Amino acid sequence: MAKSSFFSNLPKHDQQTARNLVVPAMLGIWVVVLFPLLYALYVSVHDWILSQGGIGSFNFSNYFTVLKDPLLLNSAKNTVVLTISVVVLEILIGFGLALLLNNKGIRLRNIYLFILLIPMLMPPITVGLIWRLLLHPELGIINYVLSVIGLPQPLWLATPNLAMLTIIIVDVWHETAFIILVLLAGLTSMPEEIYEAAIIDGASSRQKFQFITLPLMAPTILVATIIRMIAALKTYDLVYILTRGGPGISTETISYYIYKVFFVALDVGKSSAMAFLLLLVIILMTFLLMKVMQKTEQNY
Amino acid sequence: MKIKKRLGLILANTILIIASLSVLLPILWVIRTSIANRLIAYKIPPVWIFTPTLDNFRMIFETYPFQDYFLNSLIISTAASLVALLIGSLAAYSIARFRTGDPALRLSMLSTQMLPPIALVIPIFLIMNVIKLWDSMTGLVLAYLSFNLPYTVWILISFFQGIPVEMEEAAMIDGCSRFQSLIRIVFPVALPGLLSAGVYNFILNWNEFLFALILTGRNTRTLPVAISSLWTQQGVNIGAVSAATVITILPVILLTFVIQKFLVRNLTFGSVK
Repeated sequence: MAKSSFFSNLPKHDQQTARNLVVPAMLGIWVVVLFPLLYALYVSVHDWILSQGGIGSFNFSNYFTVLKDPLLLNSAKNTVVLTISVVVLEILIGFGLALLLNNKGIRLRNIYLFILLIPMLMPPITVGLIWRLLLHPELGIINYVLSVIGLPQPLWLATPNLAMLTIIIVDVWHETAFIILVLLAGLTSMPEEIYEAAIIDGASSRQKFQFITLPLMAPTILVATIIRMIAALKTYDLVYILTRGGPGISTETISYYIYKVFFVALDVGKSSAMAFLLLLVIILMTFLLMKVMQKTEQNY
Repeated sequence: MKIKKRLGLILANTILIIASLSVLLPILWVIRTSIANRLIAYKIPPVWIFTPTLDNFRMIFETYPFQDYFLNSLIISTAASLVALLIGSLAAYSIARFRTGDPALRLSMLSTQMLPPIALVIPIFLIMNVIKLWDSMTGLVLAYLSFNLPYTVWILISFFQGIPVEMEEAAMIDGCSRFQSLIRIVFPVALPGLLSAGVYNFILNWNEFLFALILTGRNTRTLPVAISSLWTQQGVNIGAVSAATVITILPVILLTFVIQKFLVRNLTFGSVK
């Protein structure tokens, strides 16, 4: 039966029930998502700076200004650097740790797992605060330890190139747990028989990894990668709490820059136009995620 | 061969211990600072052994109204989560059972959760100002529904699809209406799923920062906003910041382990089970 005819083949009263049941949720989403987005779209094609009064004339100049804005380019560059770095590091470290945890010889497996998963759902703001305390130039424990072992004590969050690296490290500390959890779930659900067959055929551990584990895990790794990428492209909280985009503009991400244009420059039109460009990128990524999910047919 | 294997295990354990320590030590340090008195908290080189005190906790509740922030967070997170569960579960059931609006409606639920919050918060802020919902709990609950609702629908669809139609049909032959079978059969069977979706939404709301930063004021400030301003107001009151951090993190860590069984599903939008 074709998908589209399923609904129309239902008895009339079931069709009615089915429609009634989705009405509240649809209304809700129209009110809190669709309407605000349409309003933002409307605002983005108008001149509107809050400090200069009401909404101005209709034109596309916001989009032209924004595309030529070197500061947006800077924040886009920072966001891309941050996203690629954290996703690559988190996948590598997370997959490595998941593989180790999947080893049957590890007796304390559950204790390790329990500890490693703690940061996963911690509020990003608290993660940022914890690291600000640890990295504080005079009062932080990290620079004290470095001084004891005779290493230089950098200003982690106040040195242009180092600040971005610090944010990356903190993000890895926070989010690698997600990768561990997801990839470990993938690993433990792999069919044992394939490995047994491979052992009978005399496969080495390396061969088993290369020809069984990796190909079978690829879809899960891909899904985890895209989900993390979508989240990383929106990074805001960590930047706000750790550096406020500084020093200078060296750690400004797109989300943070849009926030600044809106709340500091009060430029409603321009910030909305930029938000829409970010939205476009995220929608493309989400589309990619859906394709992958469909292909792996793991979605229910 | 045996020696090689043993060496491998030692190496694996060493790496896992290092990883665990790098997760644990920062958290332990903050807990340690939260129970240190003012003098000890600031001391570098650090004092390792001291008598713990609850002064910092007392301070954040007496000097700053952290009980208010805690309550704001609790009420707002719970309310949004419950509303989403209530209306989201109905829609999810309809989509799962009758394929209502398939696949557009289902997929729109996935893409809506991915929206960058900054794109939504600007128009929502402008609207809230006009309809006078800025700095109100209702306002923030509505804003949180923008991600709670699509998430709930999306994740519950697969839970409902896991319930055999025959169970419902049997109930309906025994005289239940469609709605009664939903309440008496489907919801109880899907309860673990409903709970995990609700708790997960609660955690997302509890952790949320950008909406709360922009949409709350003096009356409705939530914990993340309150602690982020604690740092700037006070310069660095290390003890107070640590105590507030501990208070904010604790409920989340506890809840995370309550829904541990479903976490993978929650976190990957149902794509990995």
